[in-house]
Amino acid sequence: MVAVALVTINKMKKIAITGGKGGTGKSTFTIIFANKLIKKDKKVLLVDCDIECPNLYLLINKGLGKIQTKVYTQKPVIDKNKCQQCGLCVKNCRNNAIFISPKKYPIILEHLCSSCGACWLTCPNEAIKTKKEEIGKIHLNKISSKLTLITGVAKPALEDTSSIVKQLKDFSLDLAHKNKVDYIIYDTAAGTHCPVIIALLDNDLSYVVTEPTPLGAHDLNLILTLIEKIKIKKKIVLNQANLGKIDSTLKILKKHKIKKIDIKIPYSKKIVKHYSNGDMLNCLI
Amino acid sequence: MKICISSTGPNISDKVDPRFGRCQYFLIFDTETKKSEAISNQGVQQGSGAGVSAAQLVADKDIEAIITGNIGPNAFTVLGQSGVKIYAGVFDLSCEEALEKFQNNDLTEVSEATGPGQHGAGQSDGRRGFGHN
Repeated sequence: MVAVALVTINKMKKIAITGGKGGTGKSTFTIIFANKLIKKDKKVLLVDCDIECPNLYLLINKGLGKIQTKVYTQKPVIDKNKCQQCGLCVKNCRNNAIFISPKKYPIILEHLCSSCGACWLTCPNEAIKTKKEEIGKIHLNKISSKLTLITGVAKPALEDTSSIVKQLKDFSLDLAHKNKVDYIIYDTAAGTHCPVIIALLDNDLSYVVTEPTPLGAHDLNLILTLIEKIKIKKKIVLNQANLGKIDSTLKILKKHKIKKIDIKIPYSKKIVKHYSNGDMLNCLI
Repeated sequence: MKICISSTGPNISDKVDPRFGRCQYFLIFDTETKKSEAISNQGVQQGSGAGVSAAQLVADKDIEAIITGNIGPNAFTVLGQSGVKIYAGVFDLSCEEALEKFQNNDLTEVSEATGPGQHGAGQSDGRRGFGHN
Protein backbone atom coordinates (compact mmCIF):
# COMPACT_ATOMS: atom_id res chain seq x y z
CA MET A 1 0.00 0.00 0.00
CA VAL A 2 2.76 2.40 0.93
CA ALA A 3 4.58 1.78 -2.34
CA VAL A 4 1.44 2.54 -4.34
CA ALA A 5 0.91 5.76 -2.48
CA LEU A 6 4.47 6.86 -3.23
CA VAL A 7 4.06 6.28 -6.95
CA THR A 8 1.01 8.46 -7.17
CA ILE A 9 2.65 11.48 -5.54
CA ASN A 10 2.81 14.44 -7.90
CA LYS A 11 6.26 14.51 -9.43
CA MET A 12 6.38 18.25 -9.75
CA LYS A 13 9.92 19.56 -10.12
CA LYS A 14 11.03 22.61 -8.17
CA ILE A 15 13.75 24.64 -9.86
CA ALA A 16 15.51 27.87 -8.94
CA ILE A 17 17.29 30.16 -11.39
CA THR A 18 19.99 32.25 -9.78
CA GLY A 19 23.41 33.69 -10.54
CA GLY A 20 24.85 36.12 -8.00
CA LYS A 21 25.58 38.98 -10.37
CA GLY A 22 22.80 41.15 -11.75
CA GLY A 23 22.31 41.23 -15.51
CA THR A 24 23.78 37.83 -16.37
CA GLY A 25 20.51 36.72 -17.95
CA LYS A 26 18.72 34.90 -15.14
CA SER A 27 15.26 36.07 -16.17
CA THR A 28 15.96 35.68 -19.89
CA PHE A 29 17.12 32.12 -19.27
CA THR A 30 14.10 31.49 -17.04
CA ILE A 31 11.72 32.34 -19.88
CA ILE A 32 13.62 30.43 -22.54
CA PHE A 33 13.74 27.42 -20.21
CA ALA A 34 10.00 27.69 -19.57
CA ASN A 35 9.33 27.98 -23.32
CA LYS A 36 11.19 24.73 -23.89
CA LEU A 37 9.21 22.91 -21.21
CA ILE A 38 5.90 24.21 -22.57
CA LYS A 39 6.88 23.00 -26.03
CA LYS A 40 7.28 19.56 -24.48
CA ASP A 41 3.68 19.92 -23.27
CA LYS A 42 4.66 20.55 -19.64
CA LYS A 43 2.63 22.77 -17.36
CA VAL A 44 4.79 25.52 -15.85
CA LEU A 45 4.36 27.92 -12.96
CA LEU A 46 6.84 30.80 -13.10
CA VAL A 47 7.46 32.65 -9.85
CA ASP A 48 9.28 35.97 -9.90
CA CYS A 49 11.09 36.04 -6.55
CA ASP A 50 12.96 39.25 -7.36
CA ILE A 51 10.33 41.03 -5.33
CA GLU A 52 12.22 44.29 -4.93
CA CYS A 53 12.22 44.85 -8.69
CA PRO A 54 10.24 42.10 -10.41
CA ASN A 55 10.54 42.12 -14.17
CA LEU A 56 9.51 38.76 -15.67
CA TYR A 57 6.12 40.23 -16.54
CA LEU A 58 7.86 43.05 -18.38
CA LEU A 59 10.18 40.68 -20.22
CA ILE A 60 7.25 38.66 -21.53
CA ASN A 61 5.36 41.86 -22.27
CA LYS A 62 2.34 41.03 -20.07
CA GLY A 63 0.79 42.67 -17.06
CA LEU A 64 1.31 41.76 -13.42
CA GLY A 65 -2.21 40.37 -13.34
CA LYS A 66 -4.72 40.56 -10.53
CA ILE A 67 -3.68 40.84 -6.90
CA GLN A 68 -4.26 37.45 -5.28
CA THR A 69 -3.30 38.32 -1.76
CA LYS A 70 -1.51 40.95 0.26
CA VAL A 71 1.55 40.12 2.32
CA TYR A 72 1.69 41.32 5.89
CA THR A 73 4.16 41.38 8.68
CA GLN A 74 3.74 42.02 12.40
CA LYS A 75 5.25 44.93 14.26
CA PRO A 76 5.46 45.15 18.06
CA VAL A 77 3.40 47.63 20.06
CA ILE A 78 4.04 48.28 23.77
CA ASP A 79 1.01 47.99 26.05
CA LYS A 80 1.81 50.57 28.71
CA ASN A 81 -0.81 49.11 31.07
CA LYS A 82 1.09 45.83 31.27
CA CYS A 83 4.72 46.88 30.72
CA GLN A 84 6.87 46.67 33.86
CA GLN A 85 9.82 48.47 32.16
CA CYS A 86 12.10 45.45 32.72
CA GLY A 87 14.00 45.96 29.46
CA LEU A 88 14.08 42.26 28.48
CA CYS A 89 12.75 43.15 25.02
CA VAL A 90 15.73 45.44 24.50
CA LYS A 91 18.15 42.64 25.40
CA ASN A 92 16.40 40.16 23.11
CA CYS A 93 16.24 42.41 20.06
CA ARG A 94 19.06 41.47 17.70
CA ASN A 95 18.31 44.41 15.43
CA ASN A 96 18.64 47.01 18.18
CA ALA A 97 15.17 48.19 17.27
CA ILE A 98 14.09 48.76 20.88
CA PHE A 99 15.45 51.32 23.30
CA ILE A 100 14.59 51.98 26.92
CA SER A 101 15.73 54.71 29.24
CA PRO A 102 15.46 54.25 33.02
CA LYS A 103 11.92 54.39 34.37
CA LYS A 104 10.43 54.93 30.94
CA TYR A 105 8.59 52.70 28.48
CA PRO A 106 10.47 51.07 25.62
CA ILE A 107 10.65 52.93 22.32
CA ILE A 108 10.35 50.84 19.15
CA LEU A 109 12.21 51.92 16.03
CA GLU A 110 10.00 50.25 13.46
CA HIS A 111 12.33 50.76 10.53
CA LEU A 112 14.97 48.65 12.27
CA CYS A 113 12.49 45.92 13.28
CA SER A 114 12.59 42.70 11.24
CA SER A 115 9.40 41.33 12.85
CA CYS A 116 11.26 38.33 14.25
CA GLY A 117 8.92 38.17 17.23
CA ALA A 118 11.60 37.73 19.91
CA CYS A 119 10.29 40.68 21.91
CA TRP A 120 6.64 39.70 22.07
CA LEU A 121 7.35 36.00 22.53
CA THR A 122 9.66 36.55 25.49
CA CYS A 123 7.91 39.43 27.28
CA PRO A 124 7.15 38.05 30.77
CA ASN A 125 4.22 40.43 31.17
CA GLU A 126 2.62 39.88 27.75
CA ALA A 127 2.95 43.61 27.32
CA ILE A 128 3.91 43.55 23.65
CA LYS A 129 1.04 43.31 21.23
CA THR A 130 1.40 43.20 17.48
CA LYS A 131 -0.07 45.19 14.66
CA LYS A 132 -0.39 44.14 11.04
CA GLU A 133 1.58 46.00 8.43
CA GLU A 134 1.32 45.47 4.69
CA ILE A 135 4.72 44.83 3.12
CA GLY A 136 3.86 43.48 -0.31
CA LYS A 137 1.45 41.97 -2.79
CA ILE A 138 1.22 38.77 -4.80
CA HIS A 139 -0.04 39.00 -8.39
CA LEU A 140 -1.13 36.23 -10.72
CA ASN A 141 -1.33 36.31 -14.49
CA LYS A 142 -2.55 33.22 -16.35
CA ILE A 143 -0.64 33.56 -19.62
CA SER A 144 -1.88 30.35 -21.26
CA SER A 145 -3.23 26.93 -20.33
CA LYS A 146 0.39 25.82 -19.86
CA LEU A 147 1.91 28.91 -18.27
CA THR A 148 1.04 30.94 -15.21
CA LEU A 149 3.16 33.77 -13.84
CA ILE A 150 3.15 34.71 -10.16
CA THR A 151 4.88 37.91 -9.14
CA GLY A 152 5.73 39.14 -5.67
CA VAL A 153 6.02 42.89 -5.23
CA ALA A 154 7.61 44.34 -2.11
CA LYS A 155 6.90 47.80 -0.82
CA PRO A 156 9.93 50.04 -1.36
CA ALA A 157 12.41 50.85 1.42
CA LEU A 158 11.92 47.76 3.60
CA GLU A 159 14.86 46.62 5.72
CA ASP A 160 14.36 42.94 4.91
CA THR A 161 12.10 41.43 2.26
CA SER A 162 12.79 37.73 2.80
CA SER A 163 9.48 37.10 4.54
CA ILE A 164 7.69 38.22 1.35
CA VAL A 165 9.64 35.64 -0.64
CA LYS A 166 8.70 32.99 1.92
CA GLN A 167 5.00 33.82 1.67
CA LEU A 168 5.26 34.06 -2.13
CA LYS A 169 6.76 30.56 -2.27
CA ASP A 170 4.12 29.13 0.08
CA PHE A 171 1.36 30.65 -2.05
CA SER A 172 2.92 29.40 -5.28
CA LEU A 173 3.57 25.88 -4.02
CA ASP A 174 0.01 25.59 -2.84
CA LEU A 175 -1.30 26.71 -6.22
CA ALA A 176 1.15 24.45 -8.07
CA HIS A 177 -0.20 21.41 -6.23
CA LYS A 178 -3.81 22.45 -6.84
CA ASN A 179 -3.23 23.03 -10.56
CA LYS A 180 -1.00 19.94 -10.89
CA VAL A 181 1.82 21.75 -12.64
CA ASP A 182 4.88 19.82 -13.84
CA TYR A 183 7.46 22.50 -13.08
CA ILE A 184 7.59 25.36 -10.62
CA ILE A 185 10.41 27.75 -11.50
CA TYR A 186 11.63 30.38 -9.07
CA ASP A 187 13.54 33.28 -10.62
CA THR A 188 15.65 34.69 -7.79
CA ALA A 189 17.02 38.19 -7.29
CA ALA A 190 20.69 38.94 -7.85
CA GLY A 191 22.98 38.77 -4.84
CA THR A 192 23.37 36.29 -2.01
CA HIS A 193 21.28 38.05 0.64
CA CYS A 194 18.30 36.67 2.59
CA PRO A 195 15.60 36.97 -0.13
CA VAL A 196 17.86 34.96 -2.47
CA ILE A 197 18.56 32.34 0.20
CA ILE A 198 14.84 31.87 0.88
CA ALA A 199 14.15 31.56 -2.86
CA LEU A 200 16.88 28.91 -3.20
CA LEU A 201 15.84 26.74 -0.25
CA ASP A 202 13.91 23.52 -0.82
CA ASN A 203 14.40 23.07 -4.57
CA ASP A 204 15.28 19.98 -6.61
CA LEU A 205 17.76 21.85 -8.76
CA SER A 206 19.25 25.28 -9.30
CA TYR A 207 20.57 26.79 -12.51
CA VAL A 208 23.41 29.23 -11.90
CA VAL A 209 23.52 31.74 -14.74
CA THR A 210 26.83 33.51 -15.19
CA GLU A 211 28.76 35.44 -17.83
CA PRO A 212 32.43 35.17 -18.91
CA THR A 213 33.67 38.39 -17.28
CA PRO A 214 35.76 39.08 -14.16
CA LEU A 215 32.68 40.58 -12.46
CA GLY A 216 30.59 37.56 -13.41
CA ALA A 217 33.27 35.23 -12.04
CA HIS A 218 33.54 37.16 -8.79
CA ASP A 219 29.83 36.90 -8.08
CA LEU A 220 29.72 33.31 -9.35
CA ASN A 221 32.13 32.48 -6.54
CA LEU A 222 29.75 34.07 -4.02
CA ILE A 223 26.64 32.28 -5.25
CA LEU A 224 28.41 28.91 -5.49
CA THR A 225 29.65 29.32 -1.93
CA LEU A 226 26.08 29.97 -0.84
CA ILE A 227 24.67 27.03 -2.81
CA GLU A 228 27.26 24.69 -1.28
CA LYS A 229 26.15 25.84 2.15
CA ILE A 230 22.47 25.18 1.54
CA LYS A 231 23.21 21.98 -0.35
CA ILE A 232 21.03 22.02 -3.43
CA LYS A 233 21.95 20.51 -6.79
CA LYS A 234 23.30 22.96 -9.33
CA LYS A 235 23.90 23.31 -13.04
CA ILE A 236 26.03 26.01 -14.61
CA VAL A 237 24.68 28.16 -17.42
CA LEU A 238 27.18 30.37 -19.23
CA ASN A 239 25.39 33.17 -21.01
CA GLN A 240 26.97 35.14 -23.87
CA ALA A 241 29.41 32.27 -23.89
CA ASN A 242 31.28 33.40 -26.99
CA LEU A 243 32.02 36.89 -25.64
CA GLY A 244 34.40 38.09 -22.97
CA LYS A 245 37.19 36.09 -21.38
CA ILE A 246 36.37 32.78 -19.77
CA ASP A 247 39.61 32.39 -17.75
CA SER A 248 38.32 33.91 -14.54
CA THR A 249 35.09 31.91 -14.76
CA LEU A 250 36.99 28.63 -15.24
CA LYS A 251 39.19 29.46 -12.27
CA ILE A 252 36.15 29.84 -10.02
CA LEU A 253 34.56 26.65 -11.35
CA LYS A 254 37.78 24.77 -10.62
CA LYS A 255 37.88 26.23 -7.12
CA HIS A 256 34.40 24.81 -6.53
CA LYS A 257 35.35 21.47 -8.12
CA ILE A 258 32.89 21.91 -10.97
CA LYS A 259 34.10 20.06 -14.05
CA LYS A 260 31.71 21.23 -16.73
CA ILE A 261 29.53 24.05 -17.90
CA ASP A 262 26.14 22.42 -18.44
CA ILE A 263 24.62 24.94 -20.82
CA LYS A 264 26.38 27.46 -23.02
CA ILE A 265 24.26 30.17 -24.60
CA PRO A 266 26.18 32.07 -27.27
CA TYR A 267 25.40 35.71 -27.86
CA SER A 268 22.86 35.90 -30.66
CA LYS A 269 20.95 38.70 -32.31
CA LYS A 270 17.92 36.44 -32.37
CA ILE A 271 17.57 36.57 -28.57
CA VAL A 272 18.22 40.33 -28.55
CA LYS A 273 15.45 40.82 -31.10
CA HIS A 274 12.95 38.81 -29.08
CA TYR A 275 14.02 40.75 -26.00
CA SER A 276 13.72 44.15 -27.65
CA ASN A 277 10.37 43.34 -29.23
CA GLY A 278 8.82 42.10 -25.99
CA ASP A 279 8.42 38.73 -27.63
CA MET A 280 10.40 36.53 -25.26
CA LEU A 281 7.56 33.99 -24.99
CA ASN A 282 8.34 32.91 -28.54
CA CYS A 283 12.11 32.77 -28.02
CA LEU A 284 13.54 29.28 -28.33
CA ILE A 285 17.17 28.33 -28.66
CA MET B 1 27.63 64.29 36.08
CA LYS B 2 28.63 61.48 33.76
CA ILE B 3 29.76 62.18 30.18
CA CYS B 4 30.32 59.69 27.38
CA ILE B 5 32.89 60.39 24.66
CA SER B 6 33.17 58.31 21.49
CA SER B 7 36.87 57.46 21.36
CA THR B 8 39.34 55.81 19.03
CA GLY B 9 41.13 54.18 21.97
CA PRO B 10 40.78 53.30 25.66
CA ASN B 11 42.78 56.25 26.99
CA ILE B 12 41.80 59.83 27.60
CA SER B 13 44.74 60.92 25.41
CA ASP B 14 43.22 59.04 22.42
CA LYS B 15 41.37 60.95 19.73
CA VAL B 16 37.61 61.44 19.70
CA ASP B 17 36.10 58.95 17.25
CA PRO B 18 34.01 60.87 14.68
CA ARG B 19 31.40 58.06 14.68
CA PHE B 20 29.11 57.57 17.63
CA GLY B 21 27.40 54.19 17.12
CA ARG B 22 30.41 52.64 15.45
CA CYS B 23 33.22 54.17 17.50
CA GLN B 24 35.98 51.94 18.87
CA TYR B 25 35.54 52.81 22.56
CA PHE B 26 33.20 54.69 24.82
CA LEU B 27 35.04 56.73 27.41
CA ILE B 28 32.82 57.49 30.35
CA PHE B 29 33.99 60.34 32.51
CA ASP B 30 32.57 61.38 35.85
CA THR B 31 33.05 65.14 36.38
CA GLU B 32 32.68 64.82 40.14
CA THR B 33 34.97 61.90 40.91
CA LYS B 34 37.24 62.66 37.88
CA LYS B 35 37.26 58.94 37.19
CA SER B 36 37.03 57.51 33.69
CA GLU B 37 36.01 54.11 32.37
CA ALA B 38 36.63 52.72 28.86
CA ILE B 39 34.16 50.32 27.25
CA SER B 40 34.99 48.55 24.01
CA ASN B 41 32.11 49.06 21.58
CA GLN B 42 30.50 45.83 20.39
CA GLY B 43 28.40 47.89 17.98
CA VAL B 44 31.27 48.11 15.47
CA GLN B 45 30.34 44.61 14.28
CA GLN B 46 26.58 45.03 14.25
CA GLY B 47 24.52 44.97 11.09
CA SER B 48 22.11 47.72 11.93
CA GLY B 49 21.05 49.77 14.90
CA ALA B 50 24.57 50.30 16.26
CA GLY B 51 23.55 53.84 17.21
CA VAL B 52 20.58 52.56 19.23
CA SER B 53 22.78 49.99 20.93
CA ALA B 54 25.27 52.75 21.85
CA ALA B 55 22.43 54.95 23.05
CA GLN B 56 21.22 52.07 25.23
CA LEU B 57 24.61 51.89 26.90
CA VAL B 58 24.45 55.62 27.55
CA ALA B 59 20.98 55.25 29.07
CA ASP B 60 21.96 52.24 31.21
CA LYS B 61 24.97 54.07 32.63
CA ASP B 62 22.94 57.12 33.60
CA ILE B 63 24.95 59.40 31.35
CA GLU B 64 23.74 62.98 30.94
CA ALA B 65 25.78 64.15 27.95
CA ILE B 66 27.65 62.69 25.01
CA ILE B 67 30.53 64.13 23.00
CA THR B 68 31.16 62.85 19.48
CA GLY B 69 31.87 63.79 15.86
CA ASN B 70 28.68 62.77 14.10
CA ILE B 71 25.48 61.31 15.42
CA GLY B 72 23.08 59.32 13.25
CA PRO B 73 19.29 59.57 13.14
CA ASN B 74 18.51 56.47 15.24
CA ALA B 75 20.76 57.37 18.15
CA PHE B 76 19.64 60.97 18.00
CA THR B 77 15.95 60.03 18.16
CA VAL B 78 16.20 57.80 21.20
CA LEU B 79 18.74 59.90 23.12
CA GLY B 80 16.73 63.03 22.47
CA GLN B 81 13.67 61.36 23.95
CA SER B 82 15.56 60.34 27.07
CA GLY B 83 16.88 63.85 27.65
CA VAL B 84 20.59 63.23 27.06
CA LYS B 85 22.47 66.30 25.83
CA ILE B 86 24.34 65.69 22.57
CA TYR B 87 27.51 67.61 21.70
CA ALA B 88 28.59 66.75 18.16
CA GLY B 89 30.95 68.23 15.60
CA VAL B 90 34.06 67.38 17.61
CA PHE B 91 36.83 66.36 15.23
CA ASP B 92 40.62 65.99 15.52
CA LEU B 93 40.71 66.49 19.27
CA SER B 94 41.87 64.15 21.98
CA CYS B 95 39.21 63.11 24.48
CA GLU B 96 41.03 65.15 27.10
CA GLU B 97 40.91 68.29 24.95
CA ALA B 98 37.24 67.69 24.14
CA LEU B 99 36.46 67.32 27.81
CA GLU B 100 38.24 70.56 28.60
CA LYS B 101 36.26 72.34 25.89
CA PHE B 102 33.07 70.86 27.30
CA GLN B 103 33.86 72.12 30.77
CA ASN B 104 34.57 75.58 29.36
CA ASN B 105 31.21 75.52 27.56
CA ASP B 106 32.99 75.60 24.21
CA LEU B 107 31.07 72.72 22.60
CA THR B 108 27.85 73.03 20.64
CA GLU B 109 24.77 71.09 21.60
CA VAL B 110 23.04 69.76 18.48
CA SER B 111 19.31 69.68 17.86
CA GLU B 112 19.29 67.21 14.97
CA ALA B 113 21.20 64.22 13.61
CA THR B 114 24.44 65.34 11.98
CA GLY B 115 24.95 62.48 9.55
CA PRO B 116 23.20 59.58 7.88
CA GLY B 117 23.14 56.18 9.52
CA GLN B 118 26.07 53.97 8.56
CA HIS B 119 25.03 50.52 7.52
CA GLY B 120 27.03 47.83 9.16
CA ALA B 121 28.94 44.88 7.87
CA GLY B 122 26.50 42.26 9.07
CA GLN B 123 23.26 42.43 7.17
CA SER B 124 23.98 44.41 4.05
CA ASP B 125 26.32 41.78 2.63
CA GLY B 126 25.44 40.18 -0.64
CA ARG B 127 22.97 42.69 -1.97
CA ARG B 128 22.13 42.93 -5.64
CA GLY B 129 25.07 42.35 -7.88
CA PHE B 130 27.70 44.10 -5.83
CA GLY B 131 31.05 42.55 -5.17
CA HIS B 132 31.17 42.11 -1.42
CA ASN B 133 33.90 39.93 -0.04
